[in-house]
Amino acid sequence: MTDESLPIPDGGVVVTGVARSFGSVHAVRDVSLHARPGRVTALVGPNGSGKTTLLLMLATLLAPDRGSIRVAGADPVADPVAVRRVMGWMPDVLGSWGSLSVRTSLELTGRLYRLDRDEAKARAEELIDLVDLRPLAGQPSRVLSRGQKQRLSLARALVHDPRVLLLDEPASGLDPAARHSLRVLVRRLADEGRTVIVSSHVLAELEEMADDAVFLDAGVTVSAERIAATRSVRREWRIRSLAPDALGAWLRHVGVEPGDIRADGPGLLVAVDGDEAARDLLARLVTAGVPVISFAPAVGDLEHTFLDLNGRAAEPQPHISTEGGTA
Amino acid sequence: MTGWLAGIGTVVSLELRQRVRGVAWYVLLGVFVALVAIVSLVLAASLGSWTDDAGAAIYSTVVYFVLLLATLVSPALSGNAINGDRESGTLATTQVTLISTPQLVLGKCLAAWVSSLAFLVAAVPFLVFAGFFGGVRAEVVLVSIVVLLVELGVVSALGVGLSGLLRRPLFSIVVTYLTVAMLSVGTLIAFGIAGLAIQTTATQRYESFGGPTFEDWDNTESCTVQEQEITLPRFDTAWWVLASNPYVVLADAVPTTFDRHGSPTDLFGVVKTGVRSAQLPVGEQDPREYDCDPSTWGSYPTPEQIVATTVPTWFVGLAIHVGLGVAALAGAVATTRTPSRRLAAGSRVA
Repeated sequence: MTDESLPIPDGGVVVTGVARSFGSVHAVRDVSLHARPGRVTALVGPNGSGKTTLLLMLATLLAPDRGSIRVAGADPVADPVAVRRVMGWMPDVLGSWGSLSVRTSLELTGRLYRLDRDEAKARAEELIDLVDLRPLAGQPSRVLSRGQKQRLSLARALVHDPRVLLLDEPASGLDPAARHSLRVLVRRLADEGRTVIVSSHVLAELEEMADDAVFLDAGVTVSAERIAATRSVRREWRIRSLAPDALGAWLRHVGVEPGDIRADGPGLLVAVDGDEAARDLLARLVTAGVPVISFAPAVGDLEHTFLDLNGRAAEPQPHISTEGGTA
Repeated sequence: MTGWLAGIGTVVSLELRQRVRGVAWYVLLGVFVALVAIVSLVLAASLGSWTDDAGAAIYSTVVYFVLLLATLVSPALSGNAINGDRESGTLATTQVTLISTPQLVLGKCLAAWVSSLAFLVAAVPFLVFAGFFGGVRAEVVLVSIVVLLVELGVVSALGVGLSGLLRRPLFSIVVTYLTVAMLSVGTLIAFGIAGLAIQTTATQRYESFGGPTFEDWDNTESCTVQEQEITLPRFDTAWWVLASNPYVVLADAVPTTFDRHGSPTDLFGVVKTGVRSAQLPVGEQDPREYDCDPSTWGSYPTPEQIVATTVPTWFVGLAIHVGLGVAALAGAVATTRTPSRRLAAGSRVA
């Protein structure tokens, strides 16, 4: 998904050859990425692949052992204040000042960002509405649920209207409605010209809001070639038809091996070798007059790439699938 | 500069609102007030009738109580200021804001100091009460309060500093307590042990009237001299150990008023005399009572004379304390600074 040909404007995040180890643990070995303004960049990788460590370095909290980082043109090691001015960070660890109310937490965060008293107050009220915490604004934050704390944490990251947003697992603990509004919010923040980097395990979630993706594996960014290679790997496509009962026969008629077809609820799952073959299959079905209403990868692109990079793509994954898009 | 101070102010208000709230805190203050009230009333009842300086005694006792309670409670409040935040995940979110590490550390120290001042504020009525009994002098109030404020600041700085230097909150609280205990109690123990460990033998001379027989007991013409080898603890070689005791610093710094017998009028003076007399060379305090010359009877040096002939040490002790506090804070700033390069094993940034 990463398009290397785009120019890199000043506002983005540029990481070149960054490494960071903790004693003998090499959390990040060699990471390079470009996250562009106006786009949401997904950071995908298994547990322990270095996502959080990378985000800590971008957030000016950790110094890299090697490599260079530019956040909106500034170097987080040489000039952390310049980075902090324009960067909002939402950590994966839920920390909140338990005795402080939601409103006070946001006001004081504003004060920490050198807003004056009135600005901080006004900004807190805006953010309370933005993340939908109005009914809880006066409550001490220790009574908030996990998802509500998550929203408070997001609001805190937005206090100073940052141009670069680093969100570490923002969707964890959110209910479907909150996830939806998070997705809409993140999309809007990016559309306003901000650079957004999101790490998440909920890949279907990322799929819907991310423009670009960076895959991390054991502390190394996965090369574009390796990602491209996963595109040609055999994967299952979910096909639904207006005449579901006849779909199997039609598929065999256009040349699909019966062994490649599996039943899946209302539709059928068909194993296909790569995107080209999928395109051909769809063309043949349409040409044959089959009333296809849905033709989509059974597993989203990110998830497919993620699983394939982890060497698990070969196994059938019947029930973790989520709708990746509809043809 | 004002912006820098405003940043510290924000940290202080954050700390005060987040940490020192809750019923337990007020219960503790209530117990403290009750304790001080009892002591003040007992002292007032027992001393008030027969001395004009009862106020000085009450005042000094109350100030000592404030020092005791504040140093007992303050480490629990300040000893996890930084690593506790790290554990609860609120340190890193503060560090990504425009607050610098020195602002953060100083703000936390200031907040711990302000909260330990609650004890002083709670004790103000009793200090005023002491004033009614007379003998409380302005210079005593001024010096004792300033020294008290500095000492409480030192304990706060130690707690906050150690919470930045040490990784685990429980451990840093314990180390803060141990440091305070080392200065308050440890110096006394070290003084005692050192004095006993270094001993000299001296020949003690006893002179007494009367002869060896019962009939001679009141014969003022005869004088019997006995000599005896005794071992004496050399506290005069260990007196400096006490200089770094906060209670001694407080006592030694306050100007002492003596009554017409040369005795101190307040608890500070009593402590000061006791500590200063350790400076006197062993042997000079020979029991002159056992002397056949009645003109020297009772000619012990008075507390006033002891104080006058020995050297003050409070500034040394105070300098040691302030130095410790500043070093702890500087260490905390150095280890908490971000972007961090070194991390202790098994720790997280956020």
